[in-house]
Amino acid sequence: MSPAATTADSDALAAVAGRLMPAFADAGYERIAPAVIQPAGLFLDVIGESLRGRTYVFTDPDGEELCLRPDLTVPTCRWHLERHANGNAAARYCYSGSAFRYQPAGADRAHPREFHQAGIESFGAADREADDAAVLALIVEALRASGLEGLQVRIGDLGLFRALINAIAMPERWRRRLKHRFWRADAFRTELARLKSGAAAHGQGLPADLMQALDPSDKAGATARVLDYLDRTGTELIGTRTAEEIAERLLAEAADLREPPLPAETAALIERYVTIKAPAHAAADRLDELARASGIDLTAALTSFRRRLALIEAAGIGMKDAEFSAEFGRNLEYYTGFVFEVTTPALGPRSPIAGGGRYDSLLAEVGASQPVPAVGASIHTERLLAVLPGAAP
Amino acid sequence: MTGNGKLVLAIPSKGRLMDQCNAALAKAGIVIERNGPARGYKGEIAGMPEVEVNFVSSGEIAQFLKSGAAHLGITGEDLIRETMADADERVRLIAGLGFGRADVVVAVPACWLDVRRMADLEEMALLYARAHGRRGRVATKYMNLTRRFFARSGVTGYRIVESLGATEGAPAAGLAELIVDITTTGGTLKANGLKVLDDGVMLRSEANLVSSRMAPWTPELSAVEARIAARLRW
Repeated sequence: MSPAATTADSDALAAVAGRLMPAFADAGYERIAPAVIQPAGLFLDVIGESLRGRTYVFTDPDGEELCLRPDLTVPTCRWHLERHANGNAAARYCYSGSAFRYQPAGADRAHPREFHQAGIESFGAADREADDAAVLALIVEALRASGLEGLQVRIGDLGLFRALINAIAMPERWRRRLKHRFWRADAFRTELARLKSGAAAHGQGLPADLMQALDPSDKAGATARVLDYLDRTGTELIGTRTAEEIAERLLAEAADLREPPLPAETAALIERYVTIKAPAHAAADRLDELARASGIDLTAALTSFRRRLALIEAAGIGMKDAEFSAEFGRNLEYYTGFVFEVTTPALGPRSPIAGGGRYDSLLAEVGASQPVPAVGASIHTERLLAVLPGAAP
Repeated sequence: MTGNGKLVLAIPSKGRLMDQCNAALAKAGIVIERNGPARGYKGEIAGMPEVEVNFVSSGEIAQFLKSGAAHLGITGEDLIRETMADADERVRLIAGLGFGRADVVVAVPACWLDVRRMADLEEMALLYARAHGRRGRVATKYMNLTRRFFARSGVTGYRIVESLGATEGAPAAGLAELIVDITTTGGTLKANGLKVLDDGVMLRSEANLVSSRMAPWTPELSAVEARIAARLRW
């Protein structure tokens, strides 16, 4: 069991938070205090079942599944939607409070099960690059104002990966699969290999006669053929999936069988993108070269990337030493675009002081009637306390 | 439970498992005798006075081993791994006993011609959610095993719903889209219009003699454990 926090600890935390919050308020962020106990179902829907392995989920006496909030971002989204039903009102919030994570290896000082976060979320701002830059700049300024020196910034951009895949000529369903599999390196590599190998890799385990008969341009006919096949083989259609849904995916496989494989150079380009790791400006140049060499048009995405960098620098945050990593953000939940982390030499890259990014799909998943631009970040207050000059050992 | 310094052996208290367990033990020369009332929950082993036998429901044997309330237990590996994420740190599986064999599998409607592997499930998840306005559901009593296996296989788009019985009937009844269940011959699955995914065998389980690392061991009790294990390992 981790030692209980002392009164001195909680006073010190409050003092640090007390220096951060005014910086957020001055920048126009409204302070809110969302509930500690949240409905588990929402988090499970948004983050997935893996949440159960990391979060304190429990059932109250009425049988409702609840959880101790593992972060304050989703609770802030709920707060916003309770006041703006369709979600698209522009708003900026800040918070300072506890969050809870289960530590499978046992809780200790470095991995507390109860930890403190001070953070900001900005919803509904149409100029995404400007808002991304504003959030990063505010977090870095707040950290510097609290006395932190020697901080390093690391960035990623999941939107850049999407733009790359969209710019490459390939069937839309292949794009969907690659984007979806990006989150897991091994699954991504497997999928890329499959698309490269062509017909041999598709259609395995499917009845050959049915696959031959399916015509990708005849959806209604496909459903009829599926029903006929099920009937002939004495297989009952049970469950909530319709024959149309089953036929739809079979048609996609039938189309894949007829599709030429993904060219080796294209697969190589994608693989090379994923390995890009360079100072921010150099990374943009590198990607520009790669795109040009492959005849891919990434102008819009790169312009946006460079504009964001310029806006960050205009706000006084030097990005010369900020490292861009194409892979960064690939397994952080719910981020959809710009992602960043602030680290210190003292704690190293495994324990960032602050992190955040853009998550344009989240508000809709939490219940907004349309997608709402959203970007935010939070500071791990205990870690900040541990590295501030004059901190107790 | 363990206060009297004896080695506590927890075995199933009723049903086919109890019969198979007693038979396997008897074959190894270990004869269990219930003492006290006929429906009592304690017993002993002829010729092994250092052992106290506790008759416990199958579901609870794993809990006893997890907490150390029992030194040894006979139960299915499926229940051990469902009950403990860190099973190998809390218990030791000494020997498979050759009965209670069953596989924990991912089973989907056989009419899902397009779904053969876990990867197909993940791809289907997104399309299903869009078409039905909610995530697909997996019905199972193995909440933890399922969560871990699905996460390891990269299948994240489903909700796991607890099923306490007749799990195989859930898809046909519209209570879930697919299931994770235990199967022996596959007959029940087939009868319910289900098939096992090509890579859908999560665990090949059988009854095991299991030792708890968490129980209060002494050199004497460890020697008793060794004698029991030796006889069962024929």
